[in-house]
Amino acid sequence: MKNFFKWTILILITFFFQELITISTIRLNFSILLIYKFVIEHFFPKEELRNITPSEVLPMLFFVLIGFFDDLTQGIIGPAIISKTTAGISLVILTKQLFFHWTEQFKGLIVFLLTLLDEVIYSIIIIYFFNLQFDNLLLIKTILIRALFNIPIGLIISWRKP
Amino acid sequence: MIKKLTIFLLIFILFASFFLISYQAKGKLTFSKIHFSQILAPLTYLKDLLKDFFYLKEENTQLKRQLYEISLIQKSYQELINENKRLKSFLDLKETRKDIVTIANVISKGSNKFMKTLWIDKGSNQGVQKDFPVITFNGLVGKVISVSSNFSEVLLLTDPNFSVAVRIERTRTEGILSGTGNGCLLKYIPLEEEILVGDRIITSGLDGIFPEGILVGAVKSTTKKEGFFQKIDVIPIQREHNIEEVAVIKKSI
Repeated sequence: MKNFFKWTILILITFFFQELITISTIRLNFSILLIYKFVIEHFFPKEELRNITPSEVLPMLFFVLIGFFDDLTQGIIGPAIISKTTAGISLVILTKQLFFHWTEQFKGLIVFLLTLLDEVIYSIIIIYFFNLQFDNLLLIKTILIRALFNIPIGLIISWRKP
Repeated sequence: MIKKLTIFLLIFILFASFFLISYQAKGKLTFSKIHFSQILAPLTYLKDLLKDFFYLKEENTQLKRQLYEISLIQKSYQELINENKRLKSFLDLKETRKDIVTIANVISKGSNKFMKTLWIDKGSNQGVQKDFPVITFNGLVGKVISVSSNFSEVLLLTDPNFSVAVRIERTRTEGILSGTGNGCLLKYIPLEEEILVGDRIITSGLDGIFPEGILVGAVKSTTKKEGFFQKIDVIPIQREHNIEEVAVIKKSI
């Protein structure tokens, strides 16, 4: 129950800032950081919970929920669900199947790649299905700004974790 | 190892999402956008209520409406003068009345992931409809692309999905202006047309959305390289970074 309230508040705060903060007219992607934080906290629990095997279904439902909220703000349901779930599952696979030292540099790289993966999948879906016009250079610039902006925030929220 | 149940669930989610997306892409299914301002709407109402109480808002809106009307009428007169100069005064020219629907404040920018848009604090309750043009004192800002009861989303002039029928004020050459992401591009101007840097571009009214004579931008550079048309870069007259207040006007048709 405590966890439920904690994540509800975190989700609300994240979407609040995501709607409010823009760089020029570029909307930032903070929701992917929720996925990053959730995976880290879920698969690297506190001392007393370490004996319980973490479920994989719960993170999956969380990714869908975050994607759904993101889609609601855009008026198209689906693209963010796919991108967020795919990015989240990639992080789960990385976390469960690979062993490495979670150094700050590595965490920064993970946040960068995670945001990049989310943005690329989202953009491909939108371009393919909705035939929107876009400027290549501007799209790359926007995606990179979002990914770079998430690195410091990702490092702060996962400070001394896992 | 990832469990089989997780893989099945992932496949199901992906299929369901793609199914939803393809239905939305065909226009058979639509969802209205939720903007955070809608959650804050009660606070906005409270603020408006207080302002209304002191009659300040109403008076202010009236004055601004008059100012916009004067500004639009002035532009229309300029257009009429130009028409006269070209000896077309014998035609029964009816001045198109550009009705202002409402004056709105910009409440957020860049909330759309893929398009350059801004949100305004007026919606269908105030008479705003999809495709209505949006202007400022300086000139064209864009058009309304989605409307909720008290908010609307405006597609900016510089977005690559935006197009407007325009003409060059000096030469009367007609073309199509589209956004490029950073600026605008004037298309379909033949190579033989002599376009000068600084030439003003106004709406032609031929697209059935934007009324005639609204200032759009000025020619930044021209290139005559290959093909049948010139490549003309245009600077929008209204910079998107300093839009605070806009007027929504009715479509030309």
